[in-house]
Amino acid sequence: MRRDSEEYEPRETRSPKDLQRMVLDYLDERFGLEEKLFEKLGLYLASKGRVYLGPKSAIAKPRVVTLGLLIARISGAVKPSTNLLQVFGKKVTKNFIELTKEQTIVFANGSDVNVEQNQLADASEGYVLLRYHEAQLGCGLLKGKSIKNMLPKAKRLEIKYI
Amino acid sequence: MNVSELPSRFTERYCPLVDNEEAFLASLGRLLPKSFRVNTIKSSASEVKERFSGYGIGIKQMPWYEDAFVSDNPDVGSTLEHFAGAIYMQELVSMLPPIIVREELRESRFVLDGCAAPGSKTTQLSALMQNRGTIVANDLDYMRIKALKFNLEKTGALNVVITNQDLRMFPPMQFDLIILDVPCSAEGTIRKSDGLFSSWSENAIRGASSVQKRLIRKGFDLLKPGGTMVYSTCTFAPEENEAVLDHLLADTPAVLEPIAIEGLKLSKPLEEWEGGRFDPQISNAIRIWPHHNDTGGFFIAKVRK
Repeated sequence: MRRDSEEYEPRETRSPKDLQRMVLDYLDERFGLEEKLFEKLGLYLASKGRVYLGPKSAIAKPRVVTLGLLIARISGAVKPSTNLLQVFGKKVTKNFIELTKEQTIVFANGSDVNVEQNQLADASEGYVLLRYHEAQLGCGLLKGKSIKNMLPKAKRLEIKYI
Repeated sequence: MNVSELPSRFTERYCPLVDNEEAFLASLGRLLPKSFRVNTIKSSASEVKERFSGYGIGIKQMPWYEDAFVSDNPDVGSTLEHFAGAIYMQELVSMLPPIIVREELRESRFVLDGCAAPGSKTTQLSALMQNRGTIVANDLDYMRIKALKFNLEKTGALNVVITNQDLRMFPPMQFDLIILDVPCSAEGTIRKSDGLFSSWSENAIRGASSVQKRLIRKGFDLLKPGGTMVYSTCTFAPEENEAVLDHLLADTPAVLEPIAIEGLKLSKPLEEWEGGRFDPQISNAIRIWPHHNDTGGFFIAKVRK
């Protein structure tokens, strides 16, 4: 994998197998995403704790830039990506929050979102899936009644129609 | 684009090739309608139709592809569906290479998108393959790979491996199916890029043609026997279209298969250009002229090994 920069990177002491297991266990425990959902795909570890979910039959040559979709980062704990939760959101059974129309617009804009207690029935503090009806919006970090926005800048959008 | 500013060599070359010169030139002066494709990894055409009808945004479904829509409303890009990756803004003609091999894609496990960035066709292939199998999406230009990555993330394509290599130097492999949408002089995109003719020249066309001839030969080498390769450009120049296929057919046992797209007006390719006659098999390729379907210009051929 290509490194974007020569930044300081703490040495990862856990084995790749342990890290893969950690990601799969986290997705199951936190979101109810069972391991069998991913059994036809490959889980790949790249630099800086990045975890990719991609085709099982990878290729060795020519040099691979990216293999599948960036689904999580491991820096101590697992941080799921918006990519992952948008694709597998329909299968998520816990730790999701149904946003209102107004909250969805705020979230898509890249700002943090304040939620009401009654929206937290299916969520505990930590990373959560955000939904608006059928639309799987992405990942947020819930703390108290506030959701920290995790959307990368390039994916933000001013929604006019919802 | 102000049509009166077209280089005289451009009009001399192409006006004699079209059925209606006036309509052809007039179409080049009009902006392309906004178009998008429904990303079936995340949504469906019926869902999107229902949502847009609720918004009061008029969209028109194309008769030749249920997931293709056009709209004259510029707000299509400001919808929840665009944010969530349920729709992907894509030019209509660029949707053609994947859909002419829909049948073959069902059986294909290992697919190459040879000149993939920014990924319109790659993400469409991924959706048509229902995120299964493996697509190798290659591009020579590392800067453009950034856009490819972004679009794959946005659409949720899981089955893609991105590689950054000059296709001509690709290691030996055998793909079931190859999409080869080659770099070209892009004359057919004149309706969306005004600056096109600042760099237009017949020399540039000849340069592009010689690269394309090497790319198509390499693509053919990378195809497994019985496999299919789609060759396409968004340009009118015969040197980059019929002449490239002629070069392939002269040196290899390649077979060109007929292409049918119901509901889209297709035109025959040229039989000859500047005194030279092309291989008769080339009549199986198709040209799309901008004034026939209100699209960009396009050329497409289906090659069987």
